[in-house]
Amino acid sequence: MKVSFNELQGLCRKAFTGIGFEDGDAADAADMVAWMQCHGFNAIDQLNRGLDFLLEEDPESLPKVIYQDGDLAVLDGHGQSVLRSISLATELGFAKARARGLSVVKIRRCHNRQLIMGYLSRLAGRGINITAFWRNAQEPLTEQVVGFRAGRSTPEVRIYSVRDVPEENEPNDGITLVMANHVELLPSLGVDHDLDLLARHSESDLMACRERSLQEGIEVNDAIWARLKTLAHRILVESSEASRGGAGAGVNDND
Amino acid sequence: MSNRDWVLAPLAPLNLRPADEVMRLERLGSLHACRLSFVRSLMRQMGRQRWQISRVRFDLDENGYGTAVYRLQTPYGRYHGVMFAQALDDERRSDRVIADAWDVTFGLVEGDVDDSLLEQMAANVPLQEAGRQHPRVLVLSRANKSLRNFAHFVEALGNGQQPDPQWLTRVGYLYRTTAVYGNGKFGLADFARLHENPDFRRPFSVQMAGVYLLRHFSIEQVEHLARSQSPETACGLAIELRRYLGIGNSTGLGMAPFLINHPQLIAQWVTQRETALALAQRQAPSEEERARLIALTKRAQQHLAETVTEDAEQRERNVATVAALPDVLSWLESVPLEENLWAQLVAWSERTLSLEAQELINTLLIELYPEQVDPLEEQMGVNENLDLEPDMPLMRLRQLIETHYGWALSHDYTSDEGAYWFWYRSAEKEEPRLGVRDEEPGAEKEVPIAMGPRVAHSHAAICEFLEDTPRAKVVDFLLAKPRHKEIIRRVQTLVKATYGDIHANLWHREMKPMHLLRTKLAFFGASRFDPKSDRWVRITLFQGAPLVEELNAEPEDLSHFDDWSFPLQPQLEKGCVAPAGLSPQGDQYPQGERSPLQQSSFQQQRTAKGGVSL
Repeated sequence: MKVSFNELQGLCRKAFTGIGFEDGDAADAADMVAWMQCHGFNAIDQLNRGLDFLLEEDPESLPKVIYQDGDLAVLDGHGQSVLRSISLATELGFAKARARGLSVVKIRRCHNRQLIMGYLSRLAGRGINITAFWRNAQEPLTEQVVGFRAGRSTPEVRIYSVRDVPEENEPNDGITLVMANHVELLPSLGVDHDLDLLARHSESDLMACRERSLQEGIEVNDAIWARLKTLAHRILVESSEASRGGAGAGVNDND
Repeated sequence: MSNRDWVLAPLAPLNLRPADEVMRLERLGSLHACRLSFVRSLMRQMGRQRWQISRVRFDLDENGYGTAVYRLQTPYGRYHGVMFAQALDDERRSDRVIADAWDVTFGLVEGDVDDSLLEQMAANVPLQEAGRQHPRVLVLSRANKSLRNFAHFVEALGNGQQPDPQWLTRVGYLYRTTAVYGNGKFGLADFARLHENPDFRRPFSVQMAGVYLLRHFSIEQVEHLARSQSPETACGLAIELRRYLGIGNSTGLGMAPFLINHPQLIAQWVTQRETALALAQRQAPSEEERARLIALTKRAQQHLAETVTEDAEQRERNVATVAALPDVLSWLESVPLEENLWAQLVAWSERTLSLEAQELINTLLIELYPEQVDPLEEQMGVNENLDLEPDMPLMRLRQLIETHYGWALSHDYTSDEGAYWFWYRSAEKEEPRLGVRDEEPGAEKEVPIAMGPRVAHSHAAICEFLEDTPRAKVVDFLLAKPRHKEIIRRVQTLVKATYGDIHANLWHREMKPMHLLRTKLAFFGASRFDPKSDRWVRITLFQGAPLVEELNAEPEDLSHFDDWSFPLQPQLEKGCVAPAGLSPQGDQYPQGERSPLQQSSFQQQRTAKGGVSL
């Protein structure tokens, strides 16, 4: 079915609240999913695949700062989805970059990593250059690099296949964020790099995709939509005679 | 004012009223529609840009059921209003959002409507929330007839007579909408799609355009019915009555969460209105402007005196305002014409008048200075984003809360009175509702739109955190206490847009939801505010507004075209409808004030045709 951006964002927000997200996290997560979906990244499918995990996550298990100094921070995401409250890790990087000019934040052990692009878009819009990258440890080993120019809410995205897999290739479920006040950090591929470019999404392609989504609506799977509605329904209160009182005219209103 | 003062005047800072005064719920609940309200802005734009409305389809049967399509052509684009009128059993007619059938349903479409789209709309628009709408549909709405008015109008016109204007004074419309949807609901076009659209980039302007087309349809449908039933004798509706015909709206608590969830937008609306008031106050009045304000006050006085409401509280407020206005008129007529007269008037009204009368005076002052005020209508929109400032020292945030949110910290949220209500969404079409805490089920699913207790809760947590880590930054606090993220970024954003939060405890037993509804409706441009309980209300839009044919006549004199606030009941004399006159206590309008719209030549010509058959 075709849905609007606002409709998708609104339903996701209610569904995340229904799952038990705090209000701020629900709003951020909904923004991330809607942003990704309207830029053509199939966020709804990713969300659907991760929903069972989200439902089982311990909401009290918060991202924890393992190490930090003025320029650098390492956080443990406790294996949770970036949708829940990982935005604060990115805000920590933003605060350090504002203070020091450049920051590096490593978030270990987190899922649904690609969806973090939606939040990074907001940070970039607030005037910081950002590069984020992560590796997927499946075969072939791939690496995704996302770069935002300060003040721009749409990134350049590259996905590479890494030819020379390191011998010590431990499972990699983290994200590395580099933020800088005055230095652009866009992904590029030099001729000497031993990498194969699997996909490239330019800023203009992504902006055009967003424009199409607004013009034509966003295609989502009916079953996933229905599942989100079921989750959203958790925040509703069944009606009673008391609740109907004063909520409007009676059943019949012939005047 | 000296020459130097004149030169510096545009640069001088405007003294806007403080948020602690403006954002009090009771004051917001006393606002009137003003020239910055969305229906007024839209009509000015339509007149200024010569928008043209034409009928391209009118397939209604003898009962008035069928499909009508209207084309709306602007200098930049073309749109179509598509109306579906159908039979509706009386027992299914309801003002409630939970209704599932209506007398008329309609959509406003961007671009053309071919057979395929019309078919798709015919299958979905009448279903409203249960349908899926095409992404080129900008607005979706529905309306029910005011049966008594409809029957009276058809009968009178069928007999070749004009309906009694008092019917419209009591209920100012033939159709009453119960929802006007936009911004992506049910598959509609997102509002973001209109950001670059010069026709409808202002908030709610496209919804108001849809309502305006429904008003025109209601006139054409009732005349069609009269002609169908009595082809030999039927006549058309007189021009004065057409103008006096608005579109009703019945609305409830659904308005309230919008005000809370869009604080930057609300701040923008209130800021523009306050800016308009400040600009008006700094103008040195001429005798003409004084006379104009006196005339407007008399018109408003009569409009309010004619306004019918069964709600005792609102009736008392109207009566009190009407009773206070003779003093205002005496004051205006007696004081010397000093440069700061308007500032004196505002200060005097604050000392002596009710909130509703004060805001009426403010509204009328704004009316005097279109050149100063009207450009502000372009500033009613805003990009909404509640952004965190993670590097802000937490101590600074605490100070900001204590400076700007004293109202939130001053309430007791633990008492029975202070925590009486809770807000929630019902499973019935997700209607927002109010429940009594500890008495009704659902408090555990409370929708957190009461910002006062949330700010107070976060403030307490911040104070505690600072005891151990006085040099902490906001992000340090949030990494330890992430559940405060939403409220902190709201506070950080709104200390820069201080008209964003309503200074009230929305849990308190004495809180009046009606004030929330009126706040938003005033910005829409609602008149005839008619509460039916403390949480739902009927209002009228576009009553007194210029007609489609007047718009199509390309008005030259936009000042008269725009002068339709506080409309008065036309007079029915010997079967003909004449423009309204002032009641005896109102004396006479000065020249140019006798009736809005009456002056310009095209209007005089059309007024002369009032009462004749089509």
